[in-house]
Amino acid sequence: MSDPLIELRNISKYYGNIIALTGVSTTVNPGEVTCVLGDNGAGKSTFIKILAGVHQHDEGELLLEGEEVKFSSPRAALTAGIATVYQDLAMVPLMSVWRNFFLGAEPTRGFGPFRQIDIEKAKQIAKEQLAEMGIDIRDTEQPVGTLSGGERQSVAIARASYFGARVLILDEPTSALGVKQSGVVLRRIVEARDRGLAVIFITHNPNHAYPVGDRFVILNRGHSLGNFAKENISQAELTQMMAGGAELEALQHELAAH
Amino acid sequence: MAAATAGGADERLAYRGPIQQLLTRPEIGALLGLAGVWLLFWLTSEAFGTAGGTANFLDVAALLGIMAVPVALLMIGGEFDLSSGAMTGATAVFVILMSREVGELGGAGFSLHLAVPLSLCFALAIGWFNGTLVERTSLPSFIVTLGTFFILIGAKLGFGKLFTNKVIVEGLDEAQGYAFWDDIFGAEWLRNQHIWDGRDWAWAGLLVLAGAALLLGLLEMSYTRRADPSPWAAAGAFIGAVAVPLFGFAMLLTTDGTASNWLWGAVIAAGTLAGVAIWCMSRYEPVQRRRAPPDSRTMRMIAIGVGAVVVAVVLALVMDATNTDQLGFLGGGLGRAVFAIGIAATGVLAALAATGHVRSSAPVVGVVVALLPAISFMMTVQAARALLFSGLAVAGVVALMLVAARTDLSLWLPMATAAIVAVAAFVVQAESESRKLRVELFSVLLLIALALAATAAARALARRRSTAVPVPQMGLWPHVGGAAGGAAAVVFAVIELIDGDGLLYALSTGAAKGGAIALGIFAVGTFCRLLFSNDEGMGRPLVTVGLAAAGLALAVKLMFITTLEEEATQAVTRFRVSVLFYLLFAAIGAWVLAKTRFGSWTFAVGGNKDAARSVGVPAARTKTTLFMLVSVCAWVAGMLIAFRLNSVQANVGDGNEFRYIIVAVVGGNLLTGGYGSAIGAAIGALIWGMISQGIGFARWNTDWRFLVLGGLLVVAVIVNNYVRQRAERSQAARGDPDDDEPPGDDAGAADESVSAGAEP
Repeated sequence: MSDPLIELRNISKYYGNIIALTGVSTTVNPGEVTCVLGDNGAGKSTFIKILAGVHQHDEGELLLEGEEVKFSSPRAALTAGIATVYQDLAMVPLMSVWRNFFLGAEPTRGFGPFRQIDIEKAKQIAKEQLAEMGIDIRDTEQPVGTLSGGERQSVAIARASYFGARVLILDEPTSALGVKQSGVVLRRIVEARDRGLAVIFITHNPNHAYPVGDRFVILNRGHSLGNFAKENISQAELTQMMAGGAELEALQHELAAH
Repeated sequence: MAAATAGGADERLAYRGPIQQLLTRPEIGALLGLAGVWLLFWLTSEAFGTAGGTANFLDVAALLGIMAVPVALLMIGGEFDLSSGAMTGATAVFVILMSREVGELGGAGFSLHLAVPLSLCFALAIGWFNGTLVERTSLPSFIVTLGTFFILIGAKLGFGKLFTNKVIVEGLDEAQGYAFWDDIFGAEWLRNQHIWDGRDWAWAGLLVLAGAALLLGLLEMSYTRRADPSPWAAAGAFIGAVAVPLFGFAMLLTTDGTASNWLWGAVIAAGTLAGVAIWCMSRYEPVQRRRAPPDSRTMRMIAIGVGAVVVAVVLALVMDATNTDQLGFLGGGLGRAVFAIGIAATGVLAALAATGHVRSSAPVVGVVVALLPAISFMMTVQAARALLFSGLAVAGVVALMLVAARTDLSLWLPMATAAIVAVAAFVVQAESESRKLRVELFSVLLLIALALAATAAARALARRRSTAVPVPQMGLWPHVGGAAGGAAAVVFAVIELIDGDGLLYALSTGAAKGGAIALGIFAVGTFCRLLFSNDEGMGRPLVTVGLAAAGLALAVKLMFITTLEEEATQAVTRFRVSVLFYLLFAAIGAWVLAKTRFGSWTFAVGGNKDAARSVGVPAARTKTTLFMLVSVCAWVAGMLIAFRLNSVQANVGDGNEFRYIIVAVVGGNLLTGGYGSAIGAAIGALIWGMISQGIGFARWNTDWRFLVLGGLLVVAVIVNNYVRQRAERSQAARGDPDDDEPPGDDAGAADESVSAGAEP
């Protein structure tokens, strides 16, 4: 078997004397959804920031297609094909859909000082790409602020996959959404997976993670509680581990005693 | 504009009419304000509408606008530059100090060939300093540039006095290379008594062309094309509808007397209406009638509209047309008493409102009462008369048109409105002393009445577009016209140069003639396409032709003096090169913002900097570039000041930074960044120039200038804010007609930030 797209071996990260993340290992493969689960403060953010190049790990190895790398900046991670869709979406609400879609990588025509954005082309591509993801934007000139939360997530995902991402990191994409819109985003995740992308899905909701995930990394207080393939874990076990199973049981006893 | 081009039409996209599309632009409030302010001063002052008056307010607007455009870009990028005003003066002081002998410290001054580029480097350095400091320290730009502001003020005064022992530095015209640089920054174009007998004919012809093109463009954008249009009927209608009014117009100009006026006026009206009717019937789908009986609200609005117009007409007839004094109806003890009552009422009502006993808007009543004496001292009888007449008449007509648009009351209401406007036109003509009002306002009002009637006829005959948005197709003709016009411009300019005229004169004359030729070719080509091809999306090219023709008509009117008015305009008109820089910068600013990557990045760093950075926008570089853009424009403004006066006070430009910011806000730019327009800022500068100069032209008491300016600015900002909120609401509502998902929270947040930002 060839090397996985990304492999993490005992990654650790310290902020001064605070241990943010220690001994996390997992693999990420194309066409698979890797879910990273954990409660608040479990180290999920640190985990994606290492992958996205915002922070650098202090110990362990990060392998990209078998070669060890350390991303020095978000730009470097992007160049390697790792795109991150943050919780706050990295969108400018007052700007139109097509401008947001191409922000930072606008197609241009003309030369020298007369170089300008090829607006028609940009609109065309944005519309096509969004349609391919199953989002039918009525007017790409619409400000992003007028889209619903699910639509905005979808635009961000479509943008990442259009710009050649091989790995898509989604940071809590469903946390601020209602039930129905969460369903929309989960469908996008599956679609992205089916197109051969490796998806890393960060969430604290096992009910969202279990149906779409192929592999689960569970974090608790900076420690990895394990790295499971889907066939080795049930949804109930997942929920229990993630909530810190032992603590929850203790709480149950305590409550029962009263 | 926006919706029409979205990569192929989307059939679910409800068609938004050209007017609605215009209303979503950020600069629309400023544009309306501009029209209102111009009309106000044009009505109340003889000199304001002439070439001299125009040059006068254009110059003020230009010096402001050159800075307001980059300041607006910086504001869109989310930052302020409080040193921008002081910087204009600093570059001027710098270039003079560099070029002249400076006391015991320096030997001979530099040549201007060195000093002027050096001052540009100086400006760039300041811009870089501001930008880098803001970026590196993450301090608010407000604080950082406030520091730069004081540094520059201190440096100007300190170095100025150190080297020259005076607070004024002078002697630029003695420097080496002065002639060369004065040609660039100090050029002006003197103009007096430019007489062209053909002026009235050109004006009439261009007006008819503009009217026809605008009307057809609107029709083309608004109505559904037949599957089988009959081009020959349409062509006949078109030719009839242009030829008959043109003929009528020509006869109007050559004949005099009431009977002939009536006759030719009727010919124009009948020809136009018949042409529009045939055009609509042969070209568009017939209308599907739906009649809604007028409800009580409609009837009330009709009553209000008619009432307003009647009161306007009566007021115009009753108020003394010859009295040029101040209003002065609340003088002496009475004025003081009214003022005291107003202030007392405001205070008491404010206290009551704060404790929740009356509505929070109640104190406004007191403010209005307190303002009455001030208005009575500030305004002349004629100004009040013009304001009341035009304000009431416009309000009434707008009310009637709104009713007509909302309730589909068939044909009679818009036609009645048109008739009302025509009556107003005759009132203006009958009672006016001034030729301007008698002839020009009269004709304009009649044209408006005609346009209202024509659109009403079209509404009754053709079916509105409901679905497909036509993609605008400019076609080949703009390129052909542009090339021919450009070549002609060069030829004419060279001819003028060979004749020995100045560079500026040659350039502007060449550009004007070339522009006229380009417009002619574009217009003919567009009309041919309209008549003989099946192209869709003709609306935008037609409107472009119409607007260009209207602009040219206005220019003809302003620039050429017929023998009749010769005595009235003896004064030399001075167009300065600053106006060219102003137009150039506004155009470049608009282009950069709308079409380039840098423009997109500017919106992004102002709208959500972290988001912009995370997708790879070089945020720090973008902001620093914006600061440097401001400083480059400050350099241009500084050079314009220096070469105009040849000597500069140490404090020149100080305090102007707030004007730049205010002007940008009036132009629809958001104080909090992320939204706005460069053209808006340029228009804002024009409004400021018109108001500050117009008060003098209108012979209002100039002591009140700043009060009027402040009041009008507050009104402009409120109107701007209101229009934008409405537009955004309609856009947001348009966003989810068949959407079962509620819009995200951020839509509301964005809306709030918009409303909060525009209330300085």
